[in-house]
This record gives sequence, structure tokens and C-alpha cells, in this order.
Amino acid sequence: MTGAAALEARGLSKAFGGVLAIADVSFTVREGSLTAAIGPNGAGKTTLFNVLTNLYPADRGTVSCFGRSLRGLAPDAIAARGLVRTFQTARVFTGLTVLENVLVGGHLRSRAAPWQQALWLDPVRREERAMRGRAEALLDVAGLGARRDDPAAGLPLGAQKVLEIVRALMASPRVLLLDEPAAGLNDFETAELARLLLAVRSAGVTLMVVEHNMSLVMEIADEVLVLDLGRVIAHGSPAAVQADARVIEAYLGRGAT
Amino acid sequence: MREAAEIAVGGLLAGSVFALVAVGFTLVYNVMGVPNLAQGAFVVLGALTMYSLETRLHWPLLIAALGSSAAVMGVGAAMERFVVRPARARLHTGEMLILLVGLLTFFEGAALLIWGSQPYSIPAFSGERPVVVGGIGVPTQAFWIVGITGAIVAVLWFILARTPFGKALRASAENPLAAGLMGVHVPRMTLFAFAAGAAIGAIGGEVLGPVTSIEFDTGRFFTNLGFVAFALGGMGSFFGAIAGGLGLGLAQQLTAGYVSSLFSNTLTLVLLLAVLIWRPGGLLGAGSPRREDVREAVPLPGGARSRLGGAPARALTAGGALIVAALPLLLGATGLVGSLVITGILFIAVMGLDLLMGYAGQVSLGQAGFMAVGGYTAAILATRYAVPPLLATGAGIVLTLAVALVLAIVTARLRGLYLALATLAFGLLVDSVAVGATNLTGGPSGIVGVPSFAAAGYTFASPLATYYLVWGMAAGLLVLLANLARSGYGRALLAIRADPTAARALGIRVPRYKVSVFLLSAGLASLAGSLYAFHFHFLSPEMVGTSRSIEMIAMLALGGERTLVGPLIGVALLTLLPTAFQPLALYKTLAEGLILILIMLYLPGGIFGGAAAALGRLGRGAVPRGPAVEGGRAS
Repeated sequence: MTGAAALEARGLSKAFGGVLAIADVSFTVREGSLTAAIGPNGAGKTTLFNVLTNLYPADRGTVSCFGRSLRGLAPDAIAARGLVRTFQTARVFTGLTVLENVLVGGHLRSRAAPWQQALWLDPVRREERAMRGRAEALLDVAGLGARRDDPAAGLPLGAQKVLEIVRALMASPRVLLLDEPAAGLNDFETAELARLLLAVRSAGVTLMVVEHNMSLVMEIADEVLVLDLGRVIAHGSPAAVQADARVIEAYLGRGAT
Repeated sequence: MREAAEIAVGGLLAGSVFALVAVGFTLVYNVMGVPNLAQGAFVVLGALTMYSLETRLHWPLLIAALGSSAAVMGVGAAMERFVVRPARARLHTGEMLILLVGLLTFFEGAALLIWGSQPYSIPAFSGERPVVVGGIGVPTQAFWIVGITGAIVAVLWFILARTPFGKALRASAENPLAAGLMGVHVPRMTLFAFAAGAAIGAIGGEVLGPVTSIEFDTGRFFTNLGFVAFALGGMGSFFGAIAGGLGLGLAQQLTAGYVSSLFSNTLTLVLLLAVLIWRPGGLLGAGSPRREDVREAVPLPGGARSRLGGAPARALTAGGALIVAALPLLLGATGLVGSLVITGILFIAVMGLDLLMGYAGQVSLGQAGFMAVGGYTAAILATRYAVPPLLATGAGIVLTLAVALVLAIVTARLRGLYLALATLAFGLLVDSVAVGATNLTGGPSGIVGVPSFAAAGYTFASPLATYYLVWGMAAGLLVLLANLARSGYGRALLAIRADPTAARALGIRVPRYKVSVFLLSAGLASLAGSLYAFHFHFLSPEMVGTSRSIEMIAMLALGGERTLVGPLIGVALLTLLPTAFQPLALYKTLAEGLILILIMLYLPGGIFGGAAAALGRLGRGAVPRGPAVEGGRAS
């Protein structure tokens, strides 16, 4: 692991009322790596994602993406910097087809101005065609090609989660944050997901994944970040983290070591 | 001093009734999360039923009052059971508001059929002789109004605060699912809220009947003002509703007494907009503005939007263009050409409304306000200052965009119901200024002598010339907007409607899109308003008032949201049918309401959406891979 710092958090804290959801969290995700964030329920994993993408502003601390600070940027501006996320519960756009959902993901890549779109000028046509082609290719890779004209809300939950990943990929992210992508997926779907995530990583996208499925984490992660009660308690290779006494304690309780 | 006391008494009287209506709003809002816009109709139904029972059938006062309240209560309960309950599971807040407007219109239409259009007044409960208190004469009815309002509030407070039933009711409001799991029969609570709300409204009408005249469509007035009171006091708070109602009554009487009765609502509406913008929780602040978007968080029912693609769409476009071009030749010099001009003008405004409501999911109940700003600006410039019509229209659009920009910025944080309310207040405000600023606008009787539209040396004097002008514009705009809707802009709007948070996470600048689509729809409404004035050579407040806003929403729902062309069907039906069937004009209001209710209940894609879905099924049945048509609401 020698890549540059794709995502760097320094001293992030966020409290809700008096409860510290995350406290003094610092870590670095290297370019081109796949980092898994794990921890027991309530460890602050989702809050971490929400703070990283400024959905909730952090009380303290800084986040930078490829060396540039994200301080004070709105979630849409953060996405424009290349940091794109998915959500814990699949949030597909209802009322749109599968393909249209993916096309919305292409928003950041679109260069056409609204007045050009209204006149349906040549650049717009070309762009629409290119986006459609790319969206269809991505859907094929993810195994959703056959359902591209179906209403997105009609997909089973597992397929909706995959669709959300495809939609995020359409934005050509440099760093992709996935919140529990395997939740609600069966074993077969999970294996397919692992294949997809590894393909995404080998395409050069840096990944950070919140996940509960340990065997998936151990199989695909380059590094594992372990949170407990809002604090980082371990960060290292999957093997090293598995052997860490504090991690075992956090999951199984004192005395298990 | 004497004047001030009279104003205070008058304000207290009017305020009591507004408070009663607002309490009815609160009751239903607390269980359902949507205010019952038909509430004002209960006031009218209560008063008119009471009139019939007492004056025609000679029932004794008390029996007539009880009978009328019971009848209206039954109407409220039936409305909940047969319309609201089945709709609640399927419709989101915006659609529920449209359904409730449909019910309000339906009740107005029914009242028109039963009682006709003349004003009614009920005999005073205790004779007409006023009681002299401190030198001023107070009608005896005043004591009835205030006393009964107080009694209702006390009983309601006792039920809600002190009984297990009240606790269950509040629990259903807080979290219907959890309340249901704890054994509360939630549908029964909703039924109670509607029935009680209806009875309270009816009683309000009965006690108010002797001091004001009531017509079939006075319900709109009570709904508007009760709603304002409900919002002023902080949606959901009972004491807020009462304070809001009394405050509203006083503010109205003060403005009428010291400024002008034509401006009686202006101050209140400015106040309401200010409250919505700076203190959405209401003046008394019922805590944080809760339930603001709870319903929006519930995913829209699945299913892609209904639309036609490929060959059927092209055939339809070509056929439509041909019909539009040839229609006047077939009709000759009949009056229908004039109706078709109006259809085209409203179509322009409703297309804008479709982008705003259908695509972006922003409910606007004040779209006619933008028509008014544009229409009045153009009409005043053209008549007073002889500004060429084209330039005057442009000036109207610029002014409208400026107004819309300010409104969009100050309401940026508002969503769902709050935004709907702010736009309603805006529409009513424009209306009240148009009525009140007589020097500028001609007041209630309107502005006359507006010239015909003219551009590049040609004057569109005949209806036929105006027809081609308007329809040329409508067709051009339809093409531009359809292109916008099918490209990234339209997709971004749909994404924002479905899930703003997820849209932002994909880099969509949500506030910017919301403002831009708001401006776009306002600009189109402004253009329509100007064309309206040039076509009629006349513009009056009621032509571009809140009823027009509501009518345009009905047209949109009837034709089919998110289709752009669909609304044309709605506009044409609601504009041409009354012209084609003059003798049936009496049934127009009833039919409008009924259509709106049926569409919202059974055909949420509207006529165009339903037809497209049916055609799609047909197409799929015939060929293996039919035209790209998606069904309406599949799940």
C-alpha cells in the first residue's frame, strides 16, 4: 500500500445532544485501496460517513480528499470533488426507471447547459447518447442490464442496493463510500457484490465500505478500520485487526481474550 | 375609544369563527398530518342546513342546530371513511391537498345545487335587539358566538388532555404505527377527528349565520382564513389556533377600520408570510415545526411515470399539431375559438405548473399570483403608458421573475405543506393588493381598455389571430420544455422530488434547481397572465385569483402530472365543457370537484397517464417489445 492519501480525517468529532457519536477519529485511506469500516452497532460508522460528506457538519476536525480540505462544502460540492456515497437504506429514486436512476448519477459529468438541453442541440444529443451507453454498460456489468427499463422501486431490495452503487459509479467518483452494501443480500448476491467491488477497485476507484458481514470484509478489504463507541480502536490489515485484543473485546466483551 | 371598542368586538366575533375553523384544522392535522382544506365547507353546510331546518321546516332553534350539526358530522365522517381513508395510503401530502381541494369544490357544487347561489342569513338566536354595553351596541348573537366557541374549546381541551381517548388520539398523531401496535385503533381516531372537526365547523356556521350572509362558496373564504389562523398559531397547537383566529379577526377589523376594508386581508397575509419565513413553528411556537416532511420521506408509490415514446408519441405530436392548426377553420366564426384561445393561454401556465409540481414535486397553491403580477404589469403599462404590448409583456415577466426570486429565496427552507401554505399566502396577498390598490389596478372591478396584443407591426385584433399567436407560443414552449424534461434537467428535478438527500449526494445542487424551476413556472404563468389581459382587453382580480390557482391544479391532476402534454386534456376539458354545455353550468362546480376526487382516488396518472398506460399494455400484447411505455403506479 503505497498510494497517496485519497481521504484523510483528522480529529473528527460529532455529538448529538450530549452523546458523542464519533470522538477524535483520525485515519487515512490510501488511493486505490479498499478500506472497510467495522464496529458493533452504535459504533458511529454511519455518523462517520455523514460527517465525511458533510450531511452533518462535524463539531471538530477536518476532512480532506486528495489533499484538499472539504471544510464547509455542501454535500453536492463534496460529490463534485469526487467523494460520492451510498446510503444504509437503499435510496433509489422512485418514479424513475432503473436506467434513469443511473443517468441521474451522471449529473456531475454533464456539461450541457439547460438552454442547450431545451433546444436539444447537438452537444446535448451526443452527451445523452454517450451517457446512456455508459449507463447501460455499467448496468450490464452489475447484472441489472435486463431490468433497465423497469421501475426502480419495483426491484428487490438487494438489486436496489446494487443499483445505488451503479448510480454512484456513474458519477465517476475518485473515492466511493458505501454504507452496508451487503445488508439484506443473500449469499449469492453477496458474492456478486464482492466481485463488483473488486472490479471497481481495480478500475482505480478508492473504496471505503461500512460492513457487518465479516467474511466479506476479510475477503476483499485491504485495510480495516475498527470503531467502537465513536473511537478508532484499531486500523490495519484484516489479519492484524482480527488478532487485535481490543477488537475482540469490543465484539465479544471482556474475558473473551 | 368607541371606535376602538367596536373594532375589538367585531374582531372578537370574526376571530371566534376563524378560531373554530382553525381548531377543526388542528384536530385533523394532528391525526393525519395534512390539514383538511374542506373544513370551510362544513361551516357553510352547517349554516345552510340550519337555515333550511329552522326557517323552512320550522324546527325549534335548538333541535335545528343539533340536527344540522349531526348531519354535517355525518358528512365529515362519510368523507373520511369513503374518500380520505382509501386515499391516505396511496397519496403524498401534495396529492392529499389536491384531493381535499376537490372535496371542498364538491361540497360547494352540492350546496349550489341544493340552495342556489343567493346569500342566506339565519335569524338571530335571541332576537335582533343589540345589548348596550359601555355605550356601544353589541348584537346578542355576539354572546352566543363567543360563549359557544369557549365551550367547544373547553370540551375539546378536556377530551384531549384529560381522557384516555384523548391520549390515544395524541399518540396516533405522534406515531400512527406505534400507536396501532399499542392497541390504538388509528382509523377510528381519524374518523373521530374528521367527524368532530366537521361538527365544530358546522356549529361555527350556525352561530355565525345570523351576523353574516353565507353563500354556497363562502367555504373557500373560511378555509383560507381558518388556514391562515391555523398557520399563524403554529400548525398543530390548539391554543395557537385559537390565538391565531382571534388575532386574525382583530387584524382584519383594524385594517378595515383604519385603512380600508379592501385591504382587510393584506396585513394578515404579510404577517403570515413573515411568520412562515422566520418562525415556521407559529407565533406561539408549538415547538419545532414537526411533521414537516414526514410524509415526503415515505417513498412515492413505485412505477415509472406514464409517458409515450417512439412512434405513438410522434404520431400524437403530428396529429395534435394538425388538429390545432385546422380547428379554427372547422369551427368557423363560432364563439368556441375564443374558448380555445383561453385553453391555449392556460395550457402555457399549467405546463409551468407541471414542471414545478409534477417534476420537482413542489406544491404551489398560488400560481395565479404570478399570472396577476404579469397580467397587471402588462395591462397597466399598455393602458396608462402606451407601452407596446410585447414590451409590456416582457416587463411583466421581468417583474414576476424578480418577485418569484424573492419568494423562492425567503421560502428556500420550507418544504411540503409549509411551501404550499406560503404560496397560498402569496397568491392571496397578490389578490388582496389587486383588490385594494384601486388607483393602480382598478380595484375589484378591474382594469379596462387593454389593447390587443401586437408585435412587429402586426396587431392580433381578431380571436383567430390571437388563436394562432397563443397556440404557436404554446407549441414552441411545449417542445422546449419537453426537451428540458427528457434531459439532465428533468431527471435532476425528478430525483429531487423522489429524494433530495440522495440527489445532493450525487452532486445535484438542489436549492439551485428548486429556484430555477420555480422561476421557470412563474415566468410561464406571467406570460399567460399578460396574454389573458390582451385577449380579454380586461383584467380583474378574480380572473387571476386563488380560485384560478386551484383550477390550474385541477387541470394538471386531471390531465396527468409529469407528462407536459397531459395537462392540455385537463385544461381543455375544464375550459371547453362549461362553454359547450351552457345549460349544465349549474353542475360545473359539482362536476369539477367530483372529477378531481375520482381522479385522485382511481387514476393518479390523470387521463393522459391512464391512456398511455393502457396503450402501453396494448402495445406489449401485440408486439414482443412494444413502445417504451411504463404503467402508472404498479405497486
